[in-house]
Amino acid sequence: MMDESELRRRFTELREADRERTPSFAQTYGRARARRSWRATLRVRPLVIGAAAAVAIVAVWIAHARSFSPSAVTPTIVTWRAPTDVLLRTPGSELLGAMPALGASVLDTMIPTPSKRGT
Amino acid sequence: MDEVELRRQLERAHADCIGWAMACCGRDRDDAEEVLQTVYLTVLDGRARYDARSSFRTWLFGVIRRTAASERRKAWLHGLLLMREAGSLKPQAPAPPDAEVERDSRRHSLRHALARLAARQREVLQLVFYHDLTVDEAAAVMGVTVGSARTHYARGKARLATLLGDAREL
Repeated sequence: MMDESELRRRFTELREADRERTPSFAQTYGRARARRSWRATLRVRPLVIGAAAAVAIVAVWIAHARSFSPSAVTPTIVTWRAPTDVLLRTPGSELLGAMPALGASVLDTMIPTPSKRGT
Repeated sequence: MDEVELRRQLERAHADCIGWAMACCGRDRDDAEEVLQTVYLTVLDGRARYDARSSFRTWLFGVIRRTAASERRKAWLHGLLLMREAGSLKPQAPAPPDAEVERDSRRHSLRHALARLAARQREVLQLVFYHDLTVDEAAAVMGVTVGSARTHYARGKARLATLLGDAREL
Protein backbone atom coordinates (compact mmCIF):
# COMPACT_ATOMS: atom_id res chain seq x y z
CA MET A 1 0.00 0.00 0.00
CA MET A 2 1.13 3.56 -0.72
CA ASP A 3 2.58 5.67 2.12
CA GLU A 4 1.64 9.25 3.01
CA SER A 5 4.75 10.85 1.50
CA GLU A 6 3.95 9.24 -1.84
CA LEU A 7 0.40 10.56 -1.61
CA ARG A 8 1.73 14.05 -0.91
CA ARG A 9 4.08 13.79 -3.88
CA ARG A 10 1.21 12.82 -6.16
CA PHE A 11 -0.91 15.71 -4.97
CA THR A 12 1.99 18.12 -5.40
CA GLU A 13 2.39 16.97 -9.01
CA LEU A 14 -1.30 17.51 -9.60
CA ARG A 15 -1.16 20.99 -8.04
CA GLU A 16 1.83 22.02 -10.14
CA ALA A 17 0.13 20.82 -13.32
CA ASP A 18 -3.00 22.74 -12.41
CA ARG A 19 -1.07 25.93 -11.69
CA GLU A 20 0.62 25.83 -15.09
CA ARG A 21 -2.76 26.46 -16.67
CA THR A 22 -4.24 28.75 -14.05
CA PRO A 23 -5.50 32.08 -15.44
CA SER A 24 -4.26 35.15 -13.60
CA PHE A 25 -6.36 36.89 -10.97
CA ALA A 26 -6.73 39.92 -13.26
CA GLN A 27 -8.13 37.72 -16.05
CA THR A 28 -10.61 35.96 -13.79
CA TYR A 29 -11.70 39.18 -12.11
CA GLY A 30 -11.98 40.95 -15.48
CA ARG A 31 -14.24 38.20 -16.82
CA ALA A 32 -16.31 38.35 -13.65
CA ARG A 33 -16.88 42.08 -14.08
CA ALA A 34 -17.73 41.64 -17.76
CA ARG A 35 -20.21 38.93 -16.83
CA ARG A 36 -21.77 41.16 -14.20
CA SER A 37 -22.29 44.03 -16.64
CA TRP A 38 -23.73 41.60 -19.19
CA ARG A 39 -26.11 40.22 -16.58
CA ALA A 40 -27.12 43.74 -15.61
CA THR A 41 -27.88 44.40 -19.28
CA LEU A 42 -29.93 41.23 -19.46
CA ARG A 43 -31.81 42.27 -16.33
CA VAL A 44 -32.60 45.73 -17.74
CA ARG A 45 -33.37 44.58 -21.25
CA PRO A 46 -36.86 43.14 -20.55
CA LEU A 47 -37.81 46.43 -18.88
CA VAL A 48 -36.64 48.45 -21.88
CA ILE A 49 -38.41 46.13 -24.31
CA GLY A 50 -41.57 46.22 -22.20
CA ALA A 51 -41.54 50.02 -22.02
CA ALA A 52 -40.98 50.31 -25.78
CA ALA A 53 -43.80 47.87 -26.47
CA ALA A 54 -46.13 49.80 -24.15
CA VAL A 55 -45.30 53.09 -25.89
CA ALA A 56 -45.88 51.48 -29.31
CA ILE A 57 -49.22 50.01 -28.21
CA VAL A 58 -50.39 53.36 -26.81
CA ALA A 59 -49.30 55.16 -30.00
CA VAL A 60 -51.17 52.68 -32.21
CA TRP A 61 -54.25 52.89 -29.98
CA ILE A 62 -54.28 56.70 -30.11
CA ALA A 63 -53.89 56.70 -33.89
CA HIS A 64 -56.68 54.16 -34.23
CA ALA A 65 -59.02 56.09 -31.93
CA ARG A 66 -58.39 59.33 -33.82
CA SER A 67 -59.21 57.78 -37.18
CA PHE A 68 -62.74 56.86 -35.95
CA SER A 69 -63.62 59.86 -33.81
CA PRO A 70 -65.71 62.82 -35.19
CA SER A 71 -63.20 65.46 -36.01
CA ALA A 72 -63.10 68.83 -37.65
CA VAL A 73 -62.91 67.23 -41.08
CA THR A 74 -66.25 65.40 -40.80
CA PRO A 75 -68.65 68.41 -40.96
CA THR A 76 -66.86 69.68 -44.03
CA ILE A 77 -67.54 66.40 -45.79
CA VAL A 78 -71.18 66.36 -44.69
CA THR A 79 -71.89 69.90 -45.83
CA TRP A 80 -69.96 69.60 -49.02
CA ARG A 81 -71.98 69.84 -52.21
CA ALA A 82 -70.75 68.90 -55.62
CA PRO A 83 -70.63 71.83 -58.07
CA THR A 84 -72.75 69.83 -60.54
CA ASP A 85 -75.65 69.31 -58.09
CA VAL A 86 -77.52 72.07 -59.84
CA LEU A 87 -77.86 69.89 -62.94
CA LEU A 88 -79.99 67.46 -60.96
CA ARG A 89 -82.65 70.18 -60.45
CA THR A 90 -84.88 69.67 -63.51
CA PRO A 91 -87.98 71.81 -64.32
CA GLY A 92 -91.10 70.53 -62.54
CA SER A 93 -89.13 68.50 -60.03
CA GLU A 94 -91.21 70.10 -57.24
CA LEU A 95 -94.30 68.27 -58.62
CA LEU A 96 -92.59 64.98 -58.02
CA GLY A 97 -91.45 65.97 -54.57
CA ALA A 98 -94.96 66.97 -53.28
CA MET A 99 -97.97 64.79 -52.37
CA PRO A 100 -100.83 65.29 -54.89
CA ALA A 101 -104.19 66.27 -53.27
CA LEU A 102 -107.66 65.22 -54.35
CA GLY A 103 -109.77 68.09 -55.90
CA ALA A 104 -106.71 70.14 -56.68
CA SER A 105 -104.98 70.68 -59.92
CA VAL A 106 -101.30 70.55 -60.49
CA LEU A 107 -101.73 73.75 -62.38
CA ASP A 108 -102.59 75.50 -59.13
CA THR A 109 -99.11 75.09 -58.01
CA MET A 110 -97.76 76.33 -61.29
CA ILE A 111 -100.25 79.15 -62.02
CA PRO A 112 -101.05 81.47 -59.13
CA THR A 113 -104.75 81.85 -58.28
CA PRO A 114 -106.38 85.35 -58.48
CA SER A 115 -106.49 85.66 -54.71
CA LYS A 116 -102.80 84.88 -54.52
CA ARG A 117 -102.15 87.11 -57.51
CA GLY A 118 -104.00 90.04 -55.78
CA THR A 119 -101.47 90.18 -52.98
CA MET B 1 -11.52 44.87 5.55
CA ASP B 2 -11.76 47.45 2.75
CA GLU B 3 -12.05 46.63 -0.95
CA VAL B 4 -8.38 47.20 -1.74
CA GLU B 5 -7.31 44.85 1.02
CA LEU B 6 -9.92 42.29 -0.05
CA ARG B 7 -8.63 42.36 -3.62
CA ARG B 8 -5.09 41.92 -2.39
CA GLN B 9 -6.08 38.91 -0.28
CA LEU B 10 -8.04 37.38 -3.15
CA GLU B 11 -5.14 37.87 -5.52
CA ARG B 12 -2.80 36.18 -3.08
CA ALA B 13 -5.09 33.18 -2.66
CA HIS B 14 -6.06 33.00 -6.35
CA ALA B 15 -3.90 30.04 -7.45
CA ASP B 16 -5.06 27.99 -4.47
CA CYS B 17 -8.65 28.96 -5.08
CA ILE B 18 -8.60 27.65 -8.64
CA GLY B 19 -7.38 24.26 -7.40
CA TRP B 20 -10.08 24.09 -4.75
CA ALA B 21 -12.78 25.31 -7.13
CA MET B 22 -11.76 22.57 -9.57
CA ALA B 23 -12.03 19.99 -6.80
CA CYS B 24 -15.53 21.29 -6.02
CA CYS B 25 -16.56 21.17 -9.70
CA GLY B 26 -15.52 17.62 -10.57
CA ARG B 27 -12.19 18.94 -11.97
CA ASP B 28 -13.93 20.88 -14.71
CA ARG B 29 -11.75 23.93 -15.32
CA ASP B 30 -14.43 26.03 -17.03
CA ASP B 31 -16.96 25.43 -14.28
CA ALA B 32 -14.30 26.16 -11.68
CA GLU B 33 -13.46 29.49 -13.22
CA GLU B 34 -17.11 30.43 -13.43
CA VAL B 35 -17.58 29.56 -9.76
CA LEU B 36 -14.53 31.61 -8.87
CA GLN B 37 -15.84 34.60 -10.80
CA THR B 38 -19.09 34.39 -8.86
CA VAL B 39 -17.17 34.12 -5.60
CA TYR B 40 -15.00 37.17 -6.34
CA LEU B 41 -18.06 39.25 -7.16
CA THR B 42 -19.86 37.97 -4.06
CA VAL B 43 -16.93 38.88 -1.85
CA LEU B 44 -16.14 42.25 -3.42
CA ASP B 45 -19.81 43.27 -3.48
CA GLY B 46 -20.00 42.54 0.24
CA ARG B 47 -22.57 39.75 -0.08
CA ALA B 48 -20.13 37.43 1.74
CA ARG B 49 -18.30 39.06 4.63
CA TYR B 50 -15.12 37.87 6.25
CA ASP B 51 -15.63 37.94 10.00
CA ALA B 52 -12.05 36.94 10.95
CA ARG B 53 -13.19 33.88 12.91
CA SER B 54 -10.83 31.75 10.80
CA SER B 55 -8.02 32.46 8.36
CA PHE B 56 -9.01 34.31 5.19
CA ARG B 57 -8.17 31.30 3.03
CA THR B 58 -10.25 28.91 5.14
CA TRP B 59 -13.21 31.28 4.98
CA LEU B 60 -12.76 31.80 1.23
CA PHE B 61 -12.62 28.04 0.63
CA GLY B 62 -15.92 27.74 2.47
CA VAL B 63 -17.48 30.38 0.21
CA ILE B 64 -16.15 28.57 -2.87
CA ARG B 65 -17.54 25.26 -1.64
CA ARG B 66 -21.02 26.71 -1.03
CA THR B 67 -21.01 28.60 -4.34
CA ALA B 68 -20.01 25.47 -6.26
CA ALA B 69 -22.79 23.50 -4.57
CA SER B 70 -25.28 26.24 -5.42
CA GLU B 71 -24.12 26.33 -9.06
CA ARG B 72 -24.47 22.54 -9.26
CA ARG B 73 -28.04 22.77 -8.02
CA LYS B 74 -28.82 25.51 -10.54
CA ALA B 75 -27.29 23.47 -13.36
CA TRP B 76 -29.32 20.47 -12.33
CA LEU B 77 -32.49 22.53 -12.17
CA HIS B 78 -31.94 23.95 -15.61
CA GLY B 79 -31.19 20.59 -17.12
CA LEU B 80 -27.75 21.74 -18.15
CA LEU B 81 -26.23 18.45 -17.14
CA LEU B 82 -27.70 16.82 -20.22
CA MET B 83 -26.37 19.61 -22.43
CA ARG B 84 -22.95 19.22 -20.90
CA GLU B 85 -22.98 15.50 -21.64
CA ALA B 86 -23.65 16.33 -25.26
CA GLY B 87 -20.99 19.02 -25.33
CA SER B 88 -18.29 17.04 -23.58
CA LEU B 89 -17.01 15.52 -26.80
CA LYS B 90 -14.07 17.87 -27.12
CA PRO B 91 -11.34 17.37 -29.69
CA GLN B 92 -8.40 15.48 -28.25
CA ALA B 93 -5.25 17.41 -27.47
CA PRO B 94 -2.11 16.40 -29.32
CA ALA B 95 -0.12 13.60 -27.62
CA PRO B 96 2.35 14.93 -25.02
CA PRO B 97 6.10 14.19 -25.29
CA ASP B 98 7.31 10.89 -23.76
CA ALA B 99 8.77 12.48 -20.62
CA GLU B 100 5.41 13.95 -19.80
CA VAL B 101 3.48 10.74 -20.39
CA GLU B 102 4.42 9.12 -17.08
CA ARG B 103 3.63 12.20 -15.00
CA ASP B 104 0.42 12.59 -16.92
CA SER B 105 -0.45 8.98 -16.22
CA ARG B 106 0.21 9.44 -12.46
CA ARG B 107 -1.96 12.54 -12.38
CA HIS B 108 -4.67 10.75 -14.28
CA SER B 109 -4.63 7.79 -11.88
CA LEU B 110 -4.83 10.19 -8.90
CA ARG B 111 -7.78 12.04 -10.42
CA HIS B 112 -9.45 8.74 -11.24
CA ALA B 113 -8.90 7.39 -7.72
CA LEU B 114 -10.17 10.63 -6.15
CA ALA B 115 -13.29 10.41 -8.25
CA ARG B 116 -14.00 7.00 -6.76
CA LEU B 117 -13.91 8.26 -3.17
CA ALA B 118 -16.91 9.49 -1.20
CA ALA B 119 -17.39 13.26 -1.57
CA ARG B 120 -16.41 14.09 2.02
CA GLN B 121 -13.30 11.91 1.83
CA ARG B 122 -12.29 13.50 -1.45
CA GLU B 123 -12.77 16.99 -0.03
CA VAL B 124 -10.78 16.45 3.13
CA LEU B 125 -7.89 14.80 1.26
CA GLN B 126 -7.84 17.60 -1.30
CA LEU B 127 -7.76 20.22 1.44
CA VAL B 128 -5.04 18.49 3.45
CA PHE B 129 -2.74 17.18 0.71
CA TYR B 130 -3.32 19.62 -2.13
CA HIS B 131 -3.86 22.83 -0.16
CA ASP B 132 -1.79 21.94 2.93
CA LEU B 133 -4.58 22.74 5.36
CA THR B 134 -4.77 21.03 8.73
CA VAL B 135 -7.62 18.62 9.36
CA ASP B 136 -9.13 21.20 11.74
CA GLU B 137 -9.09 23.86 9.01
CA ALA B 138 -10.51 21.36 6.53
CA ALA B 139 -13.35 20.68 8.95
CA ALA B 140 -14.10 24.43 9.09
CA VAL B 141 -14.17 24.66 5.30
CA MET B 142 -16.41 21.60 4.99
CA GLY B 143 -18.72 22.71 7.77
CA VAL B 144 -18.34 19.47 9.75
CA THR B 145 -16.96 18.68 13.19
CA VAL B 146 -13.27 18.01 13.58
CA GLY B 147 -14.01 14.44 14.66
CA SER B 148 -16.04 13.82 11.53
CA ALA B 149 -13.30 15.34 9.37
CA ARG B 150 -10.67 13.11 11.02
CA THR B 151 -12.76 10.03 10.30
CA HIS B 152 -13.22 11.02 6.64
CA TYR B 153 -9.51 11.78 6.43
CA ALA B 154 -8.37 8.43 7.82
CA ARG B 155 -10.81 6.38 5.76
CA GLY B 156 -10.22 8.41 2.61
CA LYS B 157 -6.46 8.18 2.88
CA ALA B 158 -6.55 4.42 3.32
CA ARG B 159 -8.97 3.97 0.43
CA LEU B 160 -6.98 6.30 -1.85
CA ALA B 161 -3.73 4.51 -1.07
CA THR B 162 -5.39 1.19 -1.87
CA LEU B 163 -6.84 2.48 -5.12
CA LEU B 164 -3.54 4.00 -6.24
CA GLY B 165 -1.67 0.86 -5.20
CA ASP B 166 -4.05 -1.26 -7.24
CA ALA B 167 -3.65 1.06 -10.21
CA ARG B 168 0.15 0.77 -9.96
CA GLU B 169 0.02 -3.02 -9.88
CA LEU B 170 -2.15 -3.20 -13.00
